[in-house]
Order: sequence, then C-alpha cells, then structure tokens
Amino acid sequence: MPQSRIRNFSIIAHIDHGKSTLADRFIQMCGGLPEREMAEQVLDTMDLERERGITIKAQTAALEYRARDGETYLLNLIDTPGHVDFSYEVSRSLAACEGAVLVVDASQGVEAQTVANCYTAIEQGVEVIPVLNKIDLPSADPEKAIQEIEDVIGIDAHDAIRASAKTGEKVPDILEAVISQVPAPRGDPSGRLKALIIDSWFDNYVGVVMLVRVMEGTLRPKDRIRLMSSGAAYICDQVGVFTPKAKQKDRLSAGEVGYVTAGIKELRAAKVGDTLTHDDKPAASPLPGFKEIKPQVFAGLYPVEASEYEALRDALEKLHLNDASFHYEPETSQALGFGFRCGFLGLLHMDIVQERLEREYGMHLITTAPSVVYEVLLRDGSIEQVSNPARLPDPALIEEIREPVIATKIFVPQEYVGPVITLCTNKRGIQTNMHYSARHVVISYDLPLNEVVLDFFDRLKSMTRGYGSLDYEFKQYRAADMVRLDILVNGERVDALSSMVHRETAQLRGRDLVTRLRGLIPRQMFDVAVQAAIGGHIIARENVKALRKNVLAKCYGGDVTRKRKLLEKQKAGKKRMKQVGSVEIPQEAFLAVLQRSDS
Amino acid sequence: MDPVVLSKPGKVRLELLPPLALYVHIPWCVRKCPYCDFNSHERSGELPEREYVGKLINDLEDLLPAVWGRRIVSVFIGGGTPSLFSPGSIETLLSGVRARLPLEPGAEITLEANPGTVEAARFAGFRQAGVNRISVGVQSLDDRMLAALGRIHGADEARRAVAVALESFDNVNLDLMYGLPGQTLAMARSDIEEAVRLGAAHVSAYQLTIEPNTVFWSKPPQLPQHDESADMQLAAEEVLCAAGYGHYETSAFARPGHRCRHNLNYWEFGDYVGIGAGAHGKLSFPGRITRHSRIKQPREYLLSKNSLAEDREVPANEIAFEFMLNALRLVEGFPMTLFAERTGLPPATVEAKLAKAENQGLIERDWKRVRPTERGRHFLNELLQIFLEGAPARSSAAEASS
Repeated sequence: MPQSRIRNFSIIAHIDHGKSTLADRFIQMCGGLPEREMAEQVLDTMDLERERGITIKAQTAALEYRARDGETYLLNLIDTPGHVDFSYEVSRSLAACEGAVLVVDASQGVEAQTVANCYTAIEQGVEVIPVLNKIDLPSADPEKAIQEIEDVIGIDAHDAIRASAKTGEKVPDILEAVISQVPAPRGDPSGRLKALIIDSWFDNYVGVVMLVRVMEGTLRPKDRIRLMSSGAAYICDQVGVFTPKAKQKDRLSAGEVGYVTAGIKELRAAKVGDTLTHDDKPAASPLPGFKEIKPQVFAGLYPVEASEYEALRDALEKLHLNDASFHYEPETSQALGFGFRCGFLGLLHMDIVQERLEREYGMHLITTAPSVVYEVLLRDGSIEQVSNPARLPDPALIEEIREPVIATKIFVPQEYVGPVITLCTNKRGIQTNMHYSARHVVISYDLPLNEVVLDFFDRLKSMTRGYGSLDYEFKQYRAADMVRLDILVNGERVDALSSMVHRETAQLRGRDLVTRLRGLIPRQMFDVAVQAAIGGHIIARENVKALRKNVLAKCYGGDVTRKRKLLEKQKAGKKRMKQVGSVEIPQEAFLAVLQRSDS
Repeated sequence: MDPVVLSKPGKVRLELLPPLALYVHIPWCVRKCPYCDFNSHERSGELPEREYVGKLINDLEDLLPAVWGRRIVSVFIGGGTPSLFSPGSIETLLSGVRARLPLEPGAEITLEANPGTVEAARFAGFRQAGVNRISVGVQSLDDRMLAALGRIHGADEARRAVAVALESFDNVNLDLMYGLPGQTLAMARSDIEEAVRLGAAHVSAYQLTIEPNTVFWSKPPQLPQHDESADMQLAAEEVLCAAGYGHYETSAFARPGHRCRHNLNYWEFGDYVGIGAGAHGKLSFPGRITRHSRIKQPREYLLSKNSLAEDREVPANEIAFEFMLNALRLVEGFPMTLFAERTGLPPATVEAKLAKAENQGLIERDWKRVRPTERGRHFLNELLQIFLEGAPARSSAAEASS
C-alpha cells in the first residue's frame, strides 16, 4: 500500500462515551472480522476492561476501507488507554498517529480526560476530528456539546460529525473525514530504521510482542534490531499486522503500524516509547518523548493465608510479564507476615492488579493503605525515597519530608463547584485556576498526591453524582509537615496500620482511626487498648472491652459432631484474623486506614 | 451391632470399660418450640405408644451383644416430651429394660416432663412405674418470657406442676433459661430465686442460644447484649450457690447428693446406649470407642427394620478432644487417671495442649487433677479449641448424619 493511502489514527474519548463501540463499528464496516467473531467490543480483550468499560492495553487494527472516491485505504486504528493513570501510554499512542477522532458524548459534553488527551494530541501536531456520539439519545444536546468543545479545547467544532456508534448513523462519514483530513504518513522507507514502540505484551509462545509504528526505514524478519534506550540487540523474528487478528507480513515500512517479535523474554526490555532501529545501521538519534515511567502509588499485598505466599509470588510474576509498569518486591510485616510491596501507576492501576490477582489467580489478599513516595531529606544531607510509612527513618534524623504534589484539572457541572472546592481545600489543595464553559467549570488545583490516593476520586464522584471528572499530572516534590501516625494494639505497633499524615490533621485522623478500629476488632478474652501515636506521643486511645465469656450453653453427650463444628467454626474465624501479640485483628481492620470520615 | 467388634484390635487400649448409661428418646411434642433444635416433632393425633415402646425394646435387643454383662448405672428418658406417654407405657418400657439388662441398685431414672396440667396428673404414675427423678422444662417463671419462647404453659401452671412433682419425687430438676428476648437482669435473677423457693433439688440454667434449623434462626429475636447475659449467668451462680446448691458443671447446680448421675456420666466420658428416634450413643471396647445414632424421623424410625443411622469408630485423634469437650465442663475438672482410663490414650497425648492451656491461665493442675480456672470456665470455647488442634474435621458424609 502506498503511503498516500495509509491513515494512522486513534480515538480519544472519555470512559463510556462510546470509543469501543465506535471501534467495533469501524472493524465491522471494513470487514476486519466475520460477523460470528465479532464479539462485542473486540478491542477490549480483558474481561475486566470490558466490565469497567475502560481500555488499558492499547491494541490496534489495520483496516482496509473502500472509500467513496473508489480507492482502497489502509486505516490503522490505534487504540488508546482511557484513564488518567495511563497518560504516558496515551501520549505514545498519539505519537504514532497523524490524526485522532475526538469522541464526545452529545448529552454529557467534554470530560477532564478527553481534554487532557486532546491537548496531548494537539501538542504533538495530531489532526483532531471532532465527533458527537450518541446523537440518537433523546438527551443529546449537540449545540451545547459543540460550544463546549470550542470553549474548553479550543478547536473549531461547528461541523463536528453527529453520529451514533450504536445505530451506525454517520459512521462512514467519520472514516471519510479520516481519509480527507488526516495527513498520510511520511517517512522514507529506505531511510535508517526508526520504529516507535506503542505497546508491548507477553505471549506465552513467542515471548514479547511489540506493537510499533515505523517512522523511517523498513523492518524485515531476520533483521538484527536494537532497542535504543538499552542498546540491547535481538534478531527480528516475525512482523505483521492485526486485522485485528494477527497476520504475518514480509516487512513493515515507514508509515505502517504492526507487530514485531524478536524472542525477547522480558517485557521490561521492550519499553513503551522506546525506539527500534537496525543494529548494523542505527538511526542517529531515538524518537523523542521516551520516558521511564515510575510507580506513583505503593501498597503492601499480603496473602490472607500465610501458606499462599508462594502462590501470590507466582501470580505476581505472571502478571508482571504482561504489565511491566507495576513493580513488586518481597516485604515482611510484623502484623501481616510475608508479602509484597507493590508499586502502581495510580489508584486505578492498583485496583486492576488487585482484582486480576483475585479473579484470575484466585488469591485472597489483604491490601494495606496505599502510600505515595516521599523524599526524605536527612540531616546528613542525603535523600531517601520512602514508599512505606513503616520504613520512615528515625524522625530525629530527618531534616525535611517532601511529598509529591500533582496538578489536577477537575471538570464539574456548575452546581457542584462549591462542594468540590471545599473538598480540595480540606485535602490541602491550592487553587491555581478556574474556568467556566457552557456546561462545566474547570477547576485547577495543586493537590498533595497523598490526599488524593485515599478516597478523593470516590468522593468527587459521589458529591457530583458521577459528573465530576479529574485529570492530573505530577508537578513537583514539596516540603510538608508530614508525620507518621502509628497504631498500637496493646502497646505493640502494628506496622501495616501506620500511615503518613499532615501534622494538622493527625489528631483528627488518629481519633477517627482508633474509633473505627474499636468497632472492627472483636472483643477477646482480655481488654485490648487501641492507641494512635506520633513518635512516642499517644494522641488517641480506645478500649475494646474484654468478652465476659464464651461457653457452649448445653452439652449432653449426644451430638458431639455439632459442638465440634461450632468450635471449629469459631476457631477458623480466628485463623482468618491476624495475630498481633496476643490480639486477633480481623482483615477489615487493615482496610480501615483506607477510609476517612473527616472532610 | 456386630459382636465381632468386641475382639477387633484398635488404636486405643482401654483396661477398664466405663460405666454404662441408657438414653431413651421420645420424639414428640405438643408443639415445637421456636428455639428448639432437638429431634422433636409435633404430635398429630394419637401417639403410637405401644408400637414405639416395642421398637425401643427392639433397639435395646440389637445392642445387647455389644454390652452383654454390663450394668446400667442410669436411665434418662428425654425428648421431645416423654411425659406425653402414659405411665403405663413408661412402666412397660422400664420393665422391658430391666428384663434385658441389669440395673445398678438405686440407679437414677430420669424422665423429662412438660409443666402442663395434663402431665402433672401423671407424675405419681411415673413414680410408680419406677422413675425416681423428674426434670421439669419450666424455662422461666415469667409469663412474658414463656410467651416469647412460644411455650404452651404459663408460669402458674409451672408452679403447680413443680408442687405436684415434689409430692412424688424428692429429686426434681428445673430447666431454666436466661438471656431471653426482652429479659432484664432482675427478671433473670427472680426466675432463679423462685426456682430455689419452689424446692428444686437440681437446677439447670443455660443461656438461650440461637441454633440453626429453628424458627429463631430464621427470625432472630432481640436478645440481651453479651454483657447483660454474662451478668445473668453470674447472678444465677450467686443465687444458687448462696442457697446451698453446688455449681458442678457449666450449667448445672445441685443440692448435696443430687447431682445428675446420668449427665455426670456424659461429662466423665462414660458410655451410654441410645434407643429411640434420633438417639445417640457412645460405647467403648478394649481397642476402640464407637458412636452410634438412630433414624431421626419418628415415622421412618418406626418402619425401619434396623434403626441405626450411624455406627462409627471415633478416630483416635478425636478421642482426646471429645473427652475434653465433656470433662472440662466440670467445675472440679477430672483426675488425669480418668483421662487414660476413659480414652485409652497415654496422658502424654495431651500434655503439650494442657501445658498451653495452663500457660494461658485456662486450667490449673496438681499432681492428680486438671481443673478449669474461673477464666477457663468462662472461656471454655477458647480452652476447648486448644484441643481441636491436630484433629481435623471429619468428612462431610459423617457430618450429614449429625
């Protein structure tokens, strides 16, 4: 296919605005899959994604489309992840495109994510084609949505295509617009090879599969290729395209999108954003924009049963094969035993990993409260990164604690501005901007990430009845008066319950936490003191009163089996709890740190 | 029962066979109480007394080879409501028993009775038939509580029944419950006080618990809080002990000389044979300990040729737990020699667990006896759980018949 008849594009949309349905429609129209293989929303392969309506792994489809001008075009649809945790992946997907279809729900208008991704597209010089989706809904208000696209995103949207992915209405017009408005790719097929890794994943049979966009040059099987960030070299094994089924080809040339395998065993070796080149005739410089992405949120994952530790390690290993962005390393907690400290890109990412471990690998997990990474400046001038509150150095050695601050953009309908501002203020936010558009207000805040990881997103959603949306990016590390809040049970510190809090809220938080724990720790044979402490200083205390008795009322020979079962049940109940000293603490108690009743 | 079991070798070695008691189950009631999870069935029409007694004797005859030569130390006729049977039927039953197995002279023979007017009229007849101890299911002496428990009798009726019982029996037990829906500490205390005034020789006071497969389980009533119920138990202990009753088991209190011989035999891990619908039994042999139970449904039971529903050997690793489950209920505990004698296991089997219990302050020991401490009595379940270790749950097939 000549370059002039290739179009590389992606779809930008907010969750639920219909991206996957539209993609399905495209594939169907171009005959990419026979009817019977056309499972709903084929691009989202994982169950979890389908359930949540989000796309995590970018996938792609090379579609042959016979346009109204009579010519056949090759349309490479490059899928993009749709969540705030994956903004880097989105930027790499967009870097592989010349165009993007901006899908906006005609009744909901623009949301934070869409804007962020759209800005990324515009910054990278990608042609944006606005489309109003769900035009068939009675609540659709295309004029307002257009107004908002122009106001908030700042692109001309007056002749945005009014379509319905569901009914198929005007879908061909979108493809026609892609052909007429998106520029054909450029790049010299005989130049030195530069291929951008858009995505990579692990396949049990062929090892790592890389999805690439060839920018310059041509890649063939048996070529010796090099990954430019590491310099590692491999022999190219296979190249091909997804239709969306994999189809082998004899080459991938400049302008094309396809997959590459090269017997790479470790996903970590094929990082998203890295550049592939030929080992013998390398490109002079890699493609711009490559970043090593680092986990932002950490949490401890522990098996409920100590005996499941090995199984958890295996499961993490397998998951990691396919998701190099999550990190894990063994960790020991006095309270929870052997487990793993895991790093995630964000909260959603953490949720997904947790859910996959539970669903796909049948693990039963205790997850500790998520923590961000603090920069701790010690008195000797050295800096330590601390991602686990329990590992905070002795306060006497600490000069300063710096916490990560994120720049957030919050989109809310006007009536919710008041409560959202209150929420941000309570979370130690600093307002940086506020912008009114047709339907929404865009409020910009600098917020400590620590305050956001706990429950900010849920609160925002519930106080705006689901209409609020949020986008954020890391801004800087900022010094803050943080302290470690410890929980002591009968005088013993429970490491898994420690959390980092701002000094000003520590008192309140401590009291809240011990009250909650008092309700969660069952009464036992003796009194249990639950205390909150900062350093050696106790700031709150509650008492779980001892049980008075625990006796089977009646036992006359007869039915021993029943009595025995009852005792076994009681005993099993205790086994599910974690023993700290002589106190049994139920799993729910470890989740208590995740919730707050304040603000 | 297969006589061959007598000589089969086993994992335990009993030098002496324990005392043997007889439990007789009469499964009918006028009405099923909402808290009751015993094998009891509402009566419909005339009770097949003659047929049932005949079947009880059949059960006993089937058992004879396994207990030949042993004496019966006590008989307990429980239910259900055995007092629904006529004194004549009870007499037929007891003479049938005596004709087949020797009873110890002066063996305790208890019959459970409902405190209704009809039943009270039969008390003298039961005494004539050979019953020498009567256990009256009073439960409470407060009409509000009796109504909440769905009982068919009232408090006045119960008082009269106890008075009538005392005319024929000097050994009368009253069953009382505390921790009842809507009950206060004062109400619970006054129930116990009145039981003492009425002249019971023995009081069983136990906390109402909600059991599966009962009406209360599916529609749970509002019960007093944990601390209140604990106070009620303490009050019961205090009132009864002050009135001269000895607290000898978790829920049992007796005037001197009136401890329940039959129940003590359970708690001392003695043997007992069970006859009647749903009856359970335990038998020891030189090399093994077995448990048996019978078909529960009265109709099915009556139609059966062999009424045994289950007859199994207790696995060696469960015997120690079963012993403790019973013996640690005794306030005075048990001599270590009894453990060896009744379980056929060396004391070393439980030494580590006893040491653990002692460490946790749940038992105390001297060179001879093991005794639960006050803490151990109050946290008996925690104490017993120590002995569960190393004795895995049995298969579901066995549980299904429980």
